[in-house]
Formats: sequence, C-alpha cells, structure tokens
Amino acid sequence: MNIYLLQIINGVGIGMLYFLLAVGLSIVFGLLRFVNFAHGAFYLLGAYFCFQMTRWGLSFWLALLVVPLVVGALGWLTEKLMLRHVYATAHEFHILVTVGLALAVQELVILQWGPLGDSVAVPDILQGVVMWGSFVYPKYRLFVIAFTAVLAVLLWYLLEGTRLGSAVRAGSESTEMVSLLGINVFRIFSLVFALGAATAALAGVLAAPIRGAEPFMGVEALGVAFVVVVVGGMGSFSGALLGGLLIGVVQSVMSTLWPEGARLMIYIAMATVLLLRPHGLLGRKE
Amino acid sequence: MKKHTLLILALAVVLVMPVLMHSGSLASEVLIFGLAAMGCNLLLGFTGLLSFGQGIFFGLGSYTVALTLTRWPLPMPLALALAMVTGGLGAALVGWIAIRQKGTYFVMLTLAFAQMFYFIAYTATGLTGGDNGLLDIPRPSITAFGQTLWPLTSPWQFYGFVALIFLVAFWLLLRVSRSTFGRTLLAVRDNEERAGAIGYNLKLLKLQAFVISGAVTGLAGALHAMMIGIAPLANAEYHTSEMILVMTVIGGTGNLFASVLGSAFYLLLADWLSALWPRWLLLLGMVLMAVSLWMQRGLWGLGEKLWHLRQGKHGQIRDQTTVQGNKT
Amino acid sequence: MSTPILLEAIGIEKYYGKFAALGGVDLKVRANTVHSVIGPNGAGKTTLFHMLTGTKSVSGGRIVFDGHDVTQEPDHRRVQRGIARSFQVTSLFLSLSVRENLRLAAQGTAPTKAMNCWHEPEGPRACADTVASVLAKLGLESFASTPAGNLSHGQQRRLEVGMALAARPKAIFLDEPTSGMGIDDLEDMKCFIKSLRDEHTVVLIEHNMNIVMDISDTVTVMQQGRVLAEGLPHDIRSDDRVRAAYLGNMITGGKA
Repeated sequence: MNIYLLQIINGVGIGMLYFLLAVGLSIVFGLLRFVNFAHGAFYLLGAYFCFQMTRWGLSFWLALLVVPLVVGALGWLTEKLMLRHVYATAHEFHILVTVGLALAVQELVILQWGPLGDSVAVPDILQGVVMWGSFVYPKYRLFVIAFTAVLAVLLWYLLEGTRLGSAVRAGSESTEMVSLLGINVFRIFSLVFALGAATAALAGVLAAPIRGAEPFMGVEALGVAFVVVVVGGMGSFSGALLGGLLIGVVQSVMSTLWPEGARLMIYIAMATVLLLRPHGLLGRKE
Repeated sequence: MKKHTLLILALAVVLVMPVLMHSGSLASEVLIFGLAAMGCNLLLGFTGLLSFGQGIFFGLGSYTVALTLTRWPLPMPLALALAMVTGGLGAALVGWIAIRQKGTYFVMLTLAFAQMFYFIAYTATGLTGGDNGLLDIPRPSITAFGQTLWPLTSPWQFYGFVALIFLVAFWLLLRVSRSTFGRTLLAVRDNEERAGAIGYNLKLLKLQAFVISGAVTGLAGALHAMMIGIAPLANAEYHTSEMILVMTVIGGTGNLFASVLGSAFYLLLADWLSALWPRWLLLLGMVLMAVSLWMQRGLWGLGEKLWHLRQGKHGQIRDQTTVQGNKT
Repeated sequence: MSTPILLEAIGIEKYYGKFAALGGVDLKVRANTVHSVIGPNGAGKTTLFHMLTGTKSVSGGRIVFDGHDVTQEPDHRRVQRGIARSFQVTSLFLSLSVRENLRLAAQGTAPTKAMNCWHEPEGPRACADTVASVLAKLGLESFASTPAGNLSHGQQRRLEVGMALAARPKAIFLDEPTSGMGIDDLEDMKCFIKSLRDEHTVVLIEHNMNIVMDISDTVTVMQQGRVLAEGLPHDIRSDDRVRAAYLGNMITGGKA
C-alpha cells in the first residue's frame, strides 16, 4: 500500500485522538479562561486506570465506559475543591496550581505502577487487520477513528443542541450575564472541567492499546494538546477538530520524511499561529 | 525594610553554607539556581510575565561556555561573559516575539519556544552534542602573569568562585530592581494598560527585562556547566524551565532574595529526600499547590508573617493590600 | 477671542467587524478651552476618546495635534506630544502609593529615563515638584503614601484626573471624571476642571449636564457614531435635534 496513504490514515487516527485530547482543554479555556496544565495528568490517569482494569481481568469495553466517568469525577472534585479558590488571584497562580497538580499526579502514578510503563492489550475482537483489496490496516486503529468520530458528533450535539451547551457557550461570552439569568455558573464550571477531564481520560484509554501506559505520557500529551488548541483556536470545538487532524496528519507524514523535524515543525506551527492569528484558525476574536 | 537587608541576607547565606553543608557542589548549585530564579523573578515578580522559556537561556549559557572552553578556547572570564551575551541575545529574540502577545498567549508562546529550542538542540548535534551533550568542560584556574591565583579544582574552591560571582550579580540585580527601570516594571505588572497610557513603551520595557533575565540565566547555565563538567541536553528540557519557575514561586515573587530561598528549599529538599524517597517530587508538587492556593507570597511571605507575629505587629499582617511586600 | 485650533479630527471612523462605532466624526478643539462631548449611551464618545488619545487605532480618518499628524501614533507616543487622559473606569496602580502613581505619570513624559536600570528614581527622576503640585491641587497630600487601592471611590476618581495632570499635558482628556461621585465632591470637581483651562486644553465627556452647561466653551453632541450638533452650551440646550436625541428632558442645566 502506498506509504503516504498509510501515513495519512495514521495521521487521521492520531489526529482524532489529538482532537479528543484537546477539546476538553479548549472548552475549559473558553469558559474558565485559564489553561489547565494538569490536563495531561487526566490523560495519564485514563491510560493507567484502563491498564489497571485490564490487569484485574475486566474487559477493555468496561474500562472505556467507567474510566472517563471516574476521572471526570476527579476533575469535578479538583475544580470544586481547589481551582475555585484561585480564580480571583493573578493568572500565574492558576497555571502554577495545575502545574503542581500535574507533578503530584505523575509521581503518584509512578508510586503506584512503577516508572517503566506497561502495555495494554488490544481487545480480542479488534485484534488483527482489515483487508480490503490492497488496503491493509489494523482493526483497532480503524475502530479508534470511528469511535472518536461518533464521540465528536455527540459532543457537538451536547454543545450546540442542549441547554447545558447553550449555557456553556453563553458563559464563554459572559459569565456575569449567565449568572444574572439565574444559572448556577459555578456548577457549570465544575461540569465543564469534569467533561474536559473525562474526554482527556477517554483519549488515554483509547491510546493505551496503541502506545501503552507510561508515566511521562502526560507531559508529552500536554505539549501536543497545547499546540492543537492554539492552532485550532482556544475555546473552539471545531478548532480542536481541525487542529487535531492537521497536527496529526502533519506529524504522521513528516515522520517518514524527516522524523526529528516532525516535533519541531508542530511547535513552529504553534508559534506562527500565536503570532499571526492568536485566536487560532477557527477561534473567536476576543 | 532597611536598604542593605537583602544584601546582608545574601552574604549570610554565602557564608553560612560552607559551615552547615558537606557538599561544595550542592552549595554551588544553590547559588547557581538562585541566580536563575532571580532572573525568572525579574520577569514574573516585577514585570508580571510568566515565562516557561528560562531553560532556553540556561541551556544557551551552558553550551556557550562548553564551546568556548573546549572547542574554541577563550579565557574563562571571557567565556562567562560570552555566555551572558548569548543568554541575553536569546532572550531578546524570544522576548521580542513573545511580547507581541499578552496573558495566556504569551505563556504559551514561551512554552512553544522552549520546545523548539529543545528540538533544535537535539538535532544540531554538531554544536550541542545532541542527546549526549558537550562533555569534558574544564575548570581553568584563575591565573595572572603565569601565577595560579585561585585553583578551582575542588568543590569548595569552585564554590568560593561561584559565591563571588553570585554576590556581585545579586548586588547588580538588586540595583536594577530598585532603579527607575525596576519601579516602572512594577507599574507594568500592576496595570499594563495604564502604564502604556501614561507614556511608557511597554515593548521596550519588557524587552529590556527579558535581556537582563536572559543574561543572568545564561550566566547561571555557564557556571552550572563548569560545575558538572558537561552541558547536557537536559538543561534545555521543559523540566529545567519548570524547575526554575517552581523555585521562583515557592521562594516568593516579592523580592530577589526570596528567589535564593526558593532555590535553597528546592535543592536541599531534593538532596535530602531523594535518597530517602525517590518520589520526593510528589511533595514538591503539593508544596507548589499549597503556595499557589494559600501562600502566594511564598517562603519569604511566610517568613515575614512569622517575623511580624514575633514582633507583635498583628495589625500589619491583616491588611493584605499594603504596598506589595516591600519589593526592595 | 478665538484661540488657535490645537486638535483637529477629520472623518474619524472606527469599525469593530461590521459594526460602525464611529461613522465619520469631525472635531475641532481650540486651545485653552473646555470642550465637552455629550450624547446618549452608545453614541461613541469613549470610542472617540480612544481614537484621539491613541488607546486604540482608527479604521479611517486623520488626527492632527499641535500641527502634527498623529493618526498612526500609539498612545505612549502621544503622551510625549502633550496628550494625557483619564479613564471612565478607574485604572490606577492599585498596589502602589499615590505618590508613586503620580511620579510614574509625571515620568511618563520622559520615558527613556525609565529605561535607566542603575539609578533609583531620585532627584530629577522623582519629578518631586510635579508630584507635589498635583497632590496639592487634588487635596490628596495626606494620602501620598497610601496605596491607591485603599482610597475611597471619590479620592480614586480625583487621582484618576491627577494622573493625567501629572503629565503636564497640552490637552487633557477626561472621561466622565465625576462618575459615581457624591454631591460634595461634584462641586469641587466642577470648579477644578474649570480652572484647568488656564494652563491646559480640556476635552471632557460628561453626563452631568450641570457641569457641562456651566463650564464648557464648546459642546459637541454625538449620536450613533456621528456628530449631531456642535456649538455654545446655550445653543445646544435649545437645539431641537439634540432635544429629540435625548428624548427632550435631559438638557435642563442646573439639574444633576
């Protein structure tokens, strides 16, 4: 099969995961106006909780359902107990409290599961490849693409079609207005933050069979999430999708042309966007 | 606070460490990262700029001194000066671009640049040694007219050298922080829009802050490379930038000496705990959270509170809106 | 009797996306006069101020100040030309003392001195004379060492004006200087603004018609991003178009 076609499909797969990873970060920024440096930690927890569940003999599918809920709950608690106290302070402290959290979570993970990392098996029905004429591709990766696509639609519906979504979008414009309308803004903050954590964890669960669970994946994921969110537009759902796919494909194609350059390129892309169009490709102007 | 209090405190630290500590290397590290944290503080505490790019300047300093002491030899003082120049130039470039954005976008830009620098350092193996770094960096003795004045071979001999440089740099930075420029930076931190509206060129002010910060951080990187004998890739990693920031915040952004407190706290904790418990960073993460939530003036602020309690000046602590903890 | 024109704005336009905040505004301000800009909310008064002081850039038009075309110059450059402003929403350096706030404002006219990283702000850099005189004019001497954040609202509004004065400007732009002030402060502020005319040119946005009618030499009325009428206070008061714009009942003068 044509190597470029293969890399593009890989890129789409990675890109969808990047989207899932980044969308939570983007929405949290849009509403709460700060960047959650602990976002990668939720991704990390997702991968490790999934690993632990499979260790206990539970099915991957159960993990796919349960882990995001658990991590989402953790996210909700984090916002309610901790972050709420820093909203009124200088923005450097929002960032730094989440940096501290990320560090603590990473160390806790190493404490519990050791520093070396573990692998997670692909669930039985998805093992092996799909063959369609000369098109050969791993089943699991196709599943990831399909699943995240469905999820993207669901999320989009949640944001555009429901009352909660309207409140979130309105809150992104003006939290004052929203609270004057009688909606409990703080509860929405917690929910959105929880949603962000849950989607990051879901990305971690899906990524685990592909790349395993390893303690430093959180930091790496955070870096990528930042790039996607910046390129696509902070606060924009479609931006996260476009950004994710763009970065995923670019990274994938570059890995055949110039492997070391791939990572460099995406950060150059990030800086360029920040300078020329800081609200990203699809973000709203402040 | 009296005018020379901070300088005396710095001198005290320099004199006390050889008495209390066993390791000359660790003592040197405290001063070296103290310098780096002060450079970071000039940006964060004084100008209100949260920079994740300090590792860039630290790394530039390390690589410069490595190259000018091995491959293209220069006298050591000149090598150090050049490290400050590359640190300053790097900061000028990063600053000039990053300053175009404000708030979170600025922070993200510094992060992006830090990552770019890392990958450039990783791939430019001819200059940086890539993953291996640059090795065998010597510690040339200080000589004059062919006579060895001050050998730097033993850790404590090197410490003396670092201490001297540290004190001079501390004094200079203190002057900068109290100067007209330093006072104007405080205004920029407090209310950037108004500072511009009353006539100040924000870009120029921030750029100068960046250059000074970069030069100091470059110097720290250079001393570090001389101390451990290598210029590793790790100096350019995210972790280095993060570590310097953590030291700055934990120490307290209120004044320059607080940054030395922060570096001492971090490094001594690391040294003491890491042998006992490899996961000591967990504790650090928790301290960082605690400081961000409840002790925003850091260890220095804590010290101030305890001091006032001791003096019985309860009234002074209650009013949190008083002029920001005596920046001098 | 007519003094020379100090500031002229020609065809000023400002668009935010498709929305025209200013749709072509002409303005002539004569030296040593009090020139008030009034109009209903949303008329574009503050936007006009932003254009004239350089806080934001114009979408179209020209601004000529003291013979120089300053249209492209940012706010910090215009301060050196002799333009200073106060803000509608108090914008001080809250963590710094009143004296330091004023020193910074005074120093802002010579910003290169602010790049000096060796000398403390003593001697000439302290701008002590200017600071002392502004403190006296504002009646804030006893609060010189108080952090600006600890002042009462009225005192902060006074300091707000003081920040502009400290720059010893040719033209001083005051955006609703009396907003939120109590009755006692109002009278003082009115007399104060009137007294500024001798040394400065005052451009004023005000909702308080008592003040506008009593102290203005010229009144410009804006509506929906354009100039509706301009002239002496007396003429504006009786202008039908202006009456209609304000729905008839606000230009009565003598009522706050």
